[in-house]
Amino acid sequence: MPYIERREFLKLVGAGSVGVGAGFMLRETIKHPQEYLIPHVLAPEDFSTGIATWYNTVCSMCSAGCGISVRTREGRAKKIEGNPSHPVSQGRLCALGQSGLQVLYNPDRLTGPLMQTAKRGSDAFLPITWEEGLSRVSERLDLLRAADRGSRICLLSQGVGGHLAQLFELFMGQLGSERLLHYDFDHPHTLYAANQLFFGEDHLPYYDLKNTRYLLSFGADYLGNWISPVHHSLGFGHSRQGRPDVRGRFVQIEPRMSLSGAAADEWIAARPGTEGILALGLAHHIVAQGHYQGTDRDDWTQALRGYTTTQVAEQTGVPAATITRLADTFAQTNPSLAIGGGGAGNHSNGVDTLVAVNALNYLVDNLGKAGGLLFNPEPAGRVSHPRQASFRTMLELAEDARQGRIEVLIINGTNPVFTMPASAGFAEALAQIPLIVSLSSFMDETTALADVILPSHTYLESWGDDFPEPGIGFPTGAISQPVVSPLYDTRETGEIILGLARRLGLHDAIPWSSMEDCLKDGWREIYERASQETRTESFESFWRAILKAGVWGEKSHREPTFTLAKGVIDNIGVPAPEFSGSPIDYPFVLLPYVSNTLRDGRAANLPWMQELPDPMTSVVYGSWVEMNPTTAKELGLTEGDLVDIESLHGRIRAPVYVFPAIMPDVVAMPIGQGHSEYGRYAKNRGANPIEILSPQMEQHTGGLASSATRVKIVATGQRVKLVKTGGTSRDLGRAIVQTTDATTQSKTGSIHGAKMNSIPITTVTT
Amino acid sequence: MNVSIVPALKVLRPAALLGAVVLFSLVVGYWANVVFLPGTSPEQPINFSHKVHAGDNEIPCMYCHTQARRSISAGVPSVSKCVGCHAEVATERPQIRKLMNYWDNKEPIPWIKVHDLPDFVHFTHKRHIKAGIECQTCHGPVETMDRIRVTSRALDGSFQLDTPWEMGLCLNCHRQYEVENGTDCWTCHK
Repeated sequence: MPYIERREFLKLVGAGSVGVGAGFMLRETIKHPQEYLIPHVLAPEDFSTGIATWYNTVCSMCSAGCGISVRTREGRAKKIEGNPSHPVSQGRLCALGQSGLQVLYNPDRLTGPLMQTAKRGSDAFLPITWEEGLSRVSERLDLLRAADRGSRICLLSQGVGGHLAQLFELFMGQLGSERLLHYDFDHPHTLYAANQLFFGEDHLPYYDLKNTRYLLSFGADYLGNWISPVHHSLGFGHSRQGRPDVRGRFVQIEPRMSLSGAAADEWIAARPGTEGILALGLAHHIVAQGHYQGTDRDDWTQALRGYTTTQVAEQTGVPAATITRLADTFAQTNPSLAIGGGGAGNHSNGVDTLVAVNALNYLVDNLGKAGGLLFNPEPAGRVSHPRQASFRTMLELAEDARQGRIEVLIINGTNPVFTMPASAGFAEALAQIPLIVSLSSFMDETTALADVILPSHTYLESWGDDFPEPGIGFPTGAISQPVVSPLYDTRETGEIILGLARRLGLHDAIPWSSMEDCLKDGWREIYERASQETRTESFESFWRAILKAGVWGEKSHREPTFTLAKGVIDNIGVPAPEFSGSPIDYPFVLLPYVSNTLRDGRAANLPWMQELPDPMTSVVYGSWVEMNPTTAKELGLTEGDLVDIESLHGRIRAPVYVFPAIMPDVVAMPIGQGHSEYGRYAKNRGANPIEILSPQMEQHTGGLASSATRVKIVATGQRVKLVKTGGTSRDLGRAIVQTTDATTQSKTGSIHGAKMNSIPITTVTT
Repeated sequence: MNVSIVPALKVLRPAALLGAVVLFSLVVGYWANVVFLPGTSPEQPINFSHKVHAGDNEIPCMYCHTQARRSISAGVPSVSKCVGCHAEVATERPQIRKLMNYWDNKEPIPWIKVHDLPDFVHFTHKRHIKAGIECQTCHGPVETMDRIRVTSRALDGSFQLDTPWEMGLCLNCHRQYEVENGTDCWTCHK
């Protein structure tokens, strides 16, 4: 027995007990944490744990009206995909549509009614109850209505269609007000007006990209943001690769290369605003060369006499040889199609330009046939266009507000303070309106100026319906249904209106107790007039079938005949575009374009869209100004140099992005950034080019001629690093893309310079 | 000249002894935790007995765990399901009173999970039920347990109590029944 000292013994005992404790705790810490199995109190009817439920509804992120399928699990929306049954999206969906989840789960959503308690715009909002909020608004409405001043109430909404638009009409009609306006920055007023002038139709035709062989696009970024990008992308894909023996060819005419320009076979830069002149140059050549043999050929010759190839080449900057080649190819390829819009439509001559594009389709007989332009039947329900406010209308509204002729303004989802140029003075005009109510789901720039905020559900929590514009050749519509229960103390836009109507005692005209009832009544009418083939035994089964499929449609088509109205030909002609600012002081034309990721700024609060690289520049999270390398060199600027972009009406600051695919005297900026409100992801990031635009208008429609502002570029001497995912756009001898032309290849049987390890060769067919 | 390092090491003997004691006691402490606090049969908020329900009264498993044949998860019955019977059955027992308390407050019962797989395992009940596998094959003789215990199945089919589930358990079975792609990594780890 060894001898252990007392002190030694105590040490060992101490160490032993510490060891036991440590061992015990060690195991305790590495143990699997306790998990719980929380059951439902009541078993839900609409889902089973662990099984995904898909709801078909309608995307509301832009106006195209794609059908979507939302995957939900345990009552939560998890993923949004395109609805395969819906003719617009056909199972596909764009990035913006996918990011709808971040609208629903956005941490900056308004979670309940608020009231401004201090000076307007001071952010001193305090929560109130729905009862308080609604009665505060309805009392004022009631007073105005009783005093016969209902016409002083204005409802300014984002573009909405279907029965919500109908409900707005009814509600405002009952109040005795004509002031019901929809306002979207990118609403194609000029396209509608041009089609009205040429075709005599107040809705858009169907542009059959899918079956065309040759597409001339005058400024329309049909793959990025033009009216129905998902549907056009599908058509583009099919035209290019969907037919075994035909490869559709695409020509893009625009001063700054867009996504569609990059995807095209040929990109042609015409001077900004002269796209229509170029179109008439093509038309002139087509008629002069005898490609057109209609009875009104002489009228056309007469109308187009000022657009000879040489004249047009001089005005547009496009070589004469290119003009004749394009015209010949366009006339000789069957079917071919010309479309126009985007930047080309946003000039002072926008409508004339798009009429000229329509004339091209007329001259080569592209109307009413597959691969050309097909006429749509009347939409089966209400669409937004008839109520869409042009820039001029918005200026009038602002003026009325300044004169004190507006007493209540109800804003729904639209953000004119952000999407109107500062020179319009919209925010200042709002200050003169005694009561501003916002129904928006987010604290945007306009909502921040409201007195009462009654926040709406997001589209994933709401009932609604949509009749797509442009249509797809036959009557169709879709119902938008809630896919999750509301996350917060918000209400459907329709329910808020119904709530106000109830308080105003408008039961007779607006009898519904919920938006779902209102929709059902509306769709019952559609059911009654539906053709035999889509009818079911009862309305209930019809309703359920539409909810399940996510879409309703009929087979009927429009007759493809078309006669040109008298007098149209005589009025053909595109005046030179007008710009604000002299070319000497303001040497560059500013081309603000609707961002492919953030649209008109509505998606700036979605982190997914912020971090999605712009397809042309790969820049994320910021603004930039695109500039030709020659221009940049002349100004001594390189990528990342901060410059001031100055117009007659203001100044913004952005870093330079040197972009080879833009004309030297044009600078371009994406719209979407530069928010001062709108949540943590949007706020204080980049600059808003709309802010400095001149109030230049398109002559016919009064739409904002957003491409008609001249600017100057002033270097600030400061630099920033542009955050982008792309590296250099140059090959640098790495033989990444090798090309050869088909003749050399067939002659020599081999490809010059190609080695064993060369990356597959792109063959250029000429 | 012979130099021994032993005298020098002698000085370290108390320290080495101390170290050995610490190490030994560490193991003892760890072992004690494993034995006395296995965590394989936690006490539940209500002393629900599978023996009474599935054993004595022979209620089929999937009467309550309705999702097992349709979903990845077997599903815990909703409180309303329990109340469906217990509004009439054994209403006076203290545990049932507890249940009715949850029901009256419209609160869920916070059951503690016993059988668990890590999140990187993609297990689905539906496939296994469709293949005709008895619940007991993996979960052990549940109908004999008053309180659920983690049970593993050995290769010979015998049950080993308090043995947590590991990958071998899955593979044994997949090999034994020659499951198609049953040993492919991506079958379970997606």
